[in-house]
Amino acid sequence: MAVSRQVIATAAALCFATAAVFTQNPAPRAGPRTINAPPKPTGATPRTADGHPDLTGVWNGLGDNLNGVPNQIANNGIAIESETVARDLHSGQIVTVFPRLNNRPQNNEQAERAAALLRRSGSNRPIYKPEYWDMVKYNDHNANEEDPSNNCMPAGIPRGAIPSYIAQFPNHVMFVYPGQGGLIATQTMYRMIPTDGRKHTPLQELDGTYTGESIAHWEGDTLVVDSWGFNANTWFDQIGGYMHSENMHVIERFRREGNTLTWTATVEDPDYLLEPWTTTPRVALLNPRPDAMLPESQPCSERDLAHIVTKEHH
Amino acid sequence: MRAYLSAAFIVALTLALSAPVVRAQGVADRAKVLRAAADALGMGRWSDIGGANTRLPGIDIINTMELQGSGTSDMGGRQVKTDFHIALGYNPVAARVEFTRTPDGGAAQHTIQTVRDTYAWNESEIGAGLDQGKGVATPAMTAVRERLLRIWMLPYGVVKAAYAAGDKTVVATEAGATTITAPLSGQLAGITLKATLDASSLITKVEARADNTALANLNLEAEYSGYADHAEVLTDVKTPGRLVLKQGGRTVADITVKTWETNNPYLVFPVPANVKAAPATTSR
Repeated sequence: MAVSRQVIATAAALCFATAAVFTQNPAPRAGPRTINAPPKPTGATPRTADGHPDLTGVWNGLGDNLNGVPNQIANNGIAIESETVARDLHSGQIVTVFPRLNNRPQNNEQAERAAALLRRSGSNRPIYKPEYWDMVKYNDHNANEEDPSNNCMPAGIPRGAIPSYIAQFPNHVMFVYPGQGGLIATQTMYRMIPTDGRKHTPLQELDGTYTGESIAHWEGDTLVVDSWGFNANTWFDQIGGYMHSENMHVIERFRREGNTLTWTATVEDPDYLLEPWTTTPRVALLNPRPDAMLPESQPCSERDLAHIVTKEHH
Repeated sequence: MRAYLSAAFIVALTLALSAPVVRAQGVADRAKVLRAAADALGMGRWSDIGGANTRLPGIDIINTMELQGSGTSDMGGRQVKTDFHIALGYNPVAARVEFTRTPDGGAAQHTIQTVRDTYAWNESEIGAGLDQGKGVATPAMTAVRERLLRIWMLPYGVVKAAYAAGDKTVVATEAGATTITAPLSGQLAGITLKATLDASSLITKVEARADNTALANLNLEAEYSGYADHAEVLTDVKTPGRLVLKQGGRTVADITVKTWETNNPYLVFPVPANVKAAPATTSR
């Protein structure tokens, strides 16, 4: 257990270091943040010459969560809207809030168990065919061994979620997802997605890849990215053990409002799922600095997994 | 006269000591007692991610749970050896209770009873009726209330219901023990839960009482003991090691827990189309 704590502490430090590097200008706040509800947009939405919202920018999230991912708990479905109200974003169910009675930080074991529970307490779960229910449960319980993105493999889509950088051009968009060098190291990914009206290659002609074949179009002010042609070597998310087949079809929606970017993905997989599943929306904040840059991502070299004694991701 | 007064005093004292003393407590006590009960079970957790930049409050992290155990259940008035596998959740409120009864000298009988929201059904196999041609789901709408009630009667259900009921929840001291009384709502409106806490604020007994005598079959009692973290994946959520459910004083189920997973495992309760289409019945 001592080894595990050391590994977790080191990994957490690496993760926070990553977040710190990415946060070039965190949103100003008076005191610590006590809510994690999705941020409200401020400012105007810039548009490109063709009239579409301009998604270009460094989307750092709030910069104070694991790997800069905004609203970590909200991402898993529970938004703490105030110090007395929390809500499941999928079902709308009110969740009881417990004020913290002291300022003592949790020890590693407490923090690890709390994180594992918090990240699984939301109600928005894909509905697999019954014959796969035990497999999903097994994957989640044993993710530190079974997650196919372990050992510096790509996270894939939709797990990549909101890219850290978007460049928008008249005929394509470019997405960049820096790799994670901390616990559960994953590889840097990029996607070059045409918006020129081309159609998909027939699925049977595609070799499955980690990010699939993506094409995009605008529906009003929403960029819709349609992807298929995946391999089966990724999961939907870091938490849940949600595997998929090569017949997965993903539709992502990106909507910029002011300084926020809201993302959802709908997953269809007739081999595994009983019905399409839509993620809980995630919201990232634009890095407001005009000179914001993406630093070089950390070299991906998995050093933690061999020492971890717990089985599930947290 | 003095002898008469002494006798009257002794009688009064005896009555006072023998009758249950119920002392309602105030709002501050209610908050304190509910928090203590929630903390004893390990229901509230918070994230420290973000370090000094965040100070998020804790939230109730209890959603899905999976319990495996063995013991006995009532079968036509006889206690029969029974293996239990119970999957349940609070968001949505749902449960799948799978039990295998093995009567002395008889063949094993396997039953799966499921409930979610306003639907109850029986499954011929886990997840029956969802994928075409795989198993049969038989609507059992009259059982909705009783199946839902058993979920709310678990210690976590009582605490959730007590918080949800707000000012209607009453905390009291009764015969030296703290009690929490909370009305249920929705499908279970008209039913009140009363929980008795031990000195560690763990819930040891829950009584369900229906206002309406027509629902007397929902007057259930549950006893919980042997609390520990019975999960393979440890979470610090405390679960009972033994559960005894009674109906009208008769033991309906007596379960000794083998494992009780509390890490919100992947458990889902989709309602089969034929169950959704079944006519709603006035449930018991």
